[in-house]
Formats: sequence, C-alpha cells, structure tokens
Amino acid sequence: MNVSRLATTALQYVFLGTAAFLSIFPFIWMVISSTNRSIDIIGGRTGIGDAFGTNVANFFAQVDVPLVFWNSTKLAVLATLLTIVVSSLAGYGFEMFRSKARDRIYALVLLTLMVPFAALMIPLFMMMARSGLINTHIAIMLPTIASAFIIFYFRQSTKAFQTELRDAAKVDGLKEWQIFLYIYIPVMRSTYAAAFVIVFMTNWNNYLWPLIVLQSNETKTITLVVSSLASAYYPDYGVVMIGTILATLPTLLVFFVMQRQFVQGMLGSVK
Amino acid sequence: MAEVRLTDIRKRFGALEIIKGVDLSIEAGEFVVFVGPSGCGKSTLLRMIAGLEDISSGELTIGGTVMNDVDPSKRGIAMVFQSYALYPHMTVRENMGFALKFAGMAREEIDARVNDAARILELEPLLDRKPKALSGGQRQRVAIGRAIVRNPLVFLFDEPLSNLDAELRVHMRVEIAKLHKELKSTIIYVTHDQVEAMTLADKIVVLRSGVVEQVGAPLALYDDPANTFVAGFIGSPRMNFLKARVAAVGGGQATVTLTSQPDVQLTLPIAAPSVAVGDAVTLGVRPEHFLGQGKGDADVKVKVDVAEHLGNTSYVYAHVSADERIIIEHVDVRDIASRETLTVAIAASRSFLFDKDGQRLR
Repeated sequence: MNVSRLATTALQYVFLGTAAFLSIFPFIWMVISSTNRSIDIIGGRTGIGDAFGTNVANFFAQVDVPLVFWNSTKLAVLATLLTIVVSSLAGYGFEMFRSKARDRIYALVLLTLMVPFAALMIPLFMMMARSGLINTHIAIMLPTIASAFIIFYFRQSTKAFQTELRDAAKVDGLKEWQIFLYIYIPVMRSTYAAAFVIVFMTNWNNYLWPLIVLQSNETKTITLVVSSLASAYYPDYGVVMIGTILATLPTLLVFFVMQRQFVQGMLGSVK
Repeated sequence: MAEVRLTDIRKRFGALEIIKGVDLSIEAGEFVVFVGPSGCGKSTLLRMIAGLEDISSGELTIGGTVMNDVDPSKRGIAMVFQSYALYPHMTVRENMGFALKFAGMAREEIDARVNDAARILELEPLLDRKPKALSGGQRQRVAIGRAIVRNPLVFLFDEPLSNLDAELRVHMRVEIAKLHKELKSTIIYVTHDQVEAMTLADKIVVLRSGVVEQVGAPLALYDDPANTFVAGFIGSPRMNFLKARVAAVGGGQATVTLTSQPDVQLTLPIAAPSVAVGDAVTLGVRPEHFLGQGKGDADVKVKVDVAEHLGNTSYVYAHVSADERIIIEHVDVRDIASRETLTVAIAASRSFLFDKDGQRLR
C-alpha cells in the first residue's frame, strides 16, 4: 500500500468515525443522562450517575405509561398498516394499469409532496373539527394513510416485479386482487418491510399533528408526553431522558428486527 | 389436444393496428411455430390466444368454442414464458401445483400430476427447492412442468429458450421435441430463431408487421418461399439477393441477366409470366446452393472479403458489385483468402426469382 492510498484510507476512517460518533453520541448522552439528576445534567456531567432508579420511579409516577404506550402503539401500528395497504395498492395500480389519465393523476399525487404540512395544518384541523373528530385517534391516522412518498416508493419497486408473473397468475386462474394478495405481496416482502420501518418510525415519532388534534391526557402519545415533560416550568431532565429512551426503544426494535429486509427493500427500490 | 382457429384476428392500440387480420387453422396435435423479427406481432398474437391481450376484432376458437372473451384460465391453455415466470416464493412442487390447487383439485390428484410431470422432466430431486436455487435449464423445465400438470388442450410457448445459453438451448430444443412426441398435444410456439422454427415445427407461420407472410411446413418454406422476406428469414445464413433484369420471356420461362455482371445469364421456369423484358427483378440464391465453377448454369465472379472456416464448412463473405454483398458456403475448398477473386456457379433449379415488390415469380 503506497502513502497516498494509506492517507486516503485514513481520511475515510476519520470521516466515517466522525459521522458515526455524531450519530451515536445523542444516544450515549441520552443513556448517561438518564442515570443523572437534572441538576447534574444541566451542570454538564458526562459520567454515569446513580439516579437511574429515581428517574424511572419519577417517570412512572408522573406518566400513565401503559396508556401512553398503548395510544402510541395502536396509532403507529394501525396507521402504518393502513398506509401500507392503501399506498401499495396505489403503487401497484399506477405501475400495472395503463391509461391515458394515469400519468396525470400520478403527477398530481407527487405534487402533494411539495406542499408543506404547515400549509395543510389549519384546513385539516377545520375538516376534523367539522367532522367531530378532534381529540380522536382517527383524526391522527386519516391524513397519513395515503402517503404520496410511499405510493412513489411502491410504484418504483413494482417496476422490478416481473409482469410475466402477473400473466402466469392470470393463466393460473387468479383474479387481480388474488394476484396482489398471493403473488405480489409475498414477492415484494422486502419492499413491504422497508416501507413498514419507514412508516412506523414516521408515525411513532409523529408530533406536530397529534399536538394539535389530541387535547385530553387519555388520548396522548409518548412523543407528546415526553415533550410536555421537557417543557414544564422546572423540567426534570433525568425523567425526560427516561421518557426519551422508552420512546426510542420501539423504533430501534422494529429497525433491528427488520434490518436485513429493510436494506434489501431500499436497494430494490432504487435498482 | 384441440384445434385452434383464428379468423380475421386484429389487434389495435388506439389508431395503431398491430395485428392486421390473421386467418389461421391449427390442427389438433400440431406443433406450430410463429416466427418473425422483433416487433412483428408474434408474441402479441400468442398472448391474444392466451387471453392476456384483448382481441379487437375477429374470432378465436379453441376446440370449436369461441374464446374471445373467455378468462385465460378457462381457455384450456397453459403457457410457458420467456422469463419462466416461476413464483419465487414457492418451491418447485408448489409452483407446479399452484394452478391445480387454486382450481380446487384434491391434494392426492395434484401430487399425482406433479410427480408424473416431474418424472417426465427429471425434476424429482428438485421438487422442494425454490426457483432461485435452480439453473436456467432447470427453471425452464419447471415452467414446462407447470404447464404439463394442467393437462391443457393447447400449450403456448413464448420464446422459451431465449434466456438459455447456446448449448442448453439445443438440449432443451430436443427435449421439447421429445415432449411433443410423447404428449401429442397441440403446441403454439413463438420464436425469432428460425433454427428453432425449422427443427421443431410441423407448420411455420412467418409474420411481418402483424401480417402472415406465409404458412407451411418448414421444408416447404425453405424450398418454395412466397417472397423475399420469407426467403431471407428461413435458412441460415440468409438467402443472397442479386439485382437482375429480364432479358427474355416466353415458353414458360424467363431469362434474366445480373445487373452487376450483364454477361451472366440464367433461364428460370415461370408458369404465368407477369414480367416483361427490361423489368427489374431479384434473383435469390441460398449460400449453400452455390456450386463450383462450371458446375451450374451460369458462372459469377465475386471478390472475397472474408472467409470463415468452421471445419465442416466455410463461409465466404464476398461482393458481386460494390453494393451487393453475398455469402457463399463452400464445403470443399479450405484455402480461400480475402481479396481473392472467386468464380462460383448458380444452378437455375436452385435459384428463385422475385418481382420488384419482392413477390415470388413461379
């Protein structure tokens, strides 16, 4: 190995090492802080402390953890499943069926990606209010179900789905919905796994819209609760960090369980 | 097995007509090959028979029943695709039995049929593997097995050997021929490879731009092509076409001279003369029908560009004039070199005459 190659390799390692540290540091800091008292955290203490048990006890005393977790899980899982069903059907339809209107409708769908959520917030809130859905979980799920990005992702991935499989299934006697159910879904399972991870994370971490719509403590999700702890008059950062860890765990779990298929699915969509 | 009849079958995409009125009779048990260059409509026609493309107009019958609007699965057909189209999440056994299971057949009957097909195609050791663990040839056999188990009236093959390497293609070609002998079923087979068409077919249908150019037995097409397109498509290497002019007509024959070498004269029989003296015509000579100097009815001088020696034979790429290139097959001579001048003979009995529109003058 000559000097310039050695230098290049070293530079690559330095860059990747820095990037890895910047990515992992907030997690490390979160875990360390959860063992310290609020005053130590504000004081800049970076060592592991002895207040972990106290922080956990305080968190459980202040928050109805089972209810909050149930709200978040129910919302994230249901919204994710609905999004994936609706968006994969749309992606499949856009790719498989030819019509003159197809590309125009698809362009319209993609255009919705350009509209920031902030511009939709008030009209959406008014729609929900008129429908009597304020402070319900349905109001959180409805706007997320038809996701332009996930429709785009499924359509791109469907390009890799052999059309001859669809023809073979037709000759075998399958109707379109059966082709979708028995052939398309199993063949595209990596795509579904990747979409599940992305949509689940988005829904689990969803903050702004639930903040506007959910008004009673009974309906609130973990992100709202952690945020309200952090914005208290005297926030207890040790307790906030316990909440943050608990809020992070499900997304980490989903990612690690589906990591292999997530990578395959993401590769498939850009091939 | 069943007969298939196509009557004035047409396919339109908006104003564009892809299949332009095909009439065709395929007898029960016949092996028919649709052949033609890319974009000629052969796969579209097959997909219309399968029910994967709508028929814009005309009538399709299979076994005497009109099938225009019948679901693909109820037409009594089974199809083998170019890409095999095996379901990747199912094992070989599941792939082969899927259509039967879906049709509600009893498990014992499915197993019996799958095992039977697996025995015929020597797939027994592979039944529990998934398609990704199979070679190209094995996948193709599974695709054929999947068709066999359905016990169809008509087998449809859509360029089934295109994805295989040359050696395997020859092997599978023989396997398909054996299978047809064994099953005695009606087969419609699409290919762009005229060697596959010649070796497999009872009847070849040559298509160009959605029109049937000629239908006939392989050797009939080779010996008696209807036009320059069929003459050029059937036979490998393709037929040579030389520009010529009619010098004399009468007595059931026409004498032509080559435009590039007017001293070369050839007299061919024409039953009903539709040409006059001075008309431009085309003389067709297959590479394998050139003879040694003085052994035919007329000698032609050619300049050699390249000679390919394959061992059993040699192909000489030469030109008669600046814009008329020809291929000559030489079995005996092995020492032809480039830039050499060669004299070869043409026999009237092995030459074909075409009018200015490319139609055969018989």
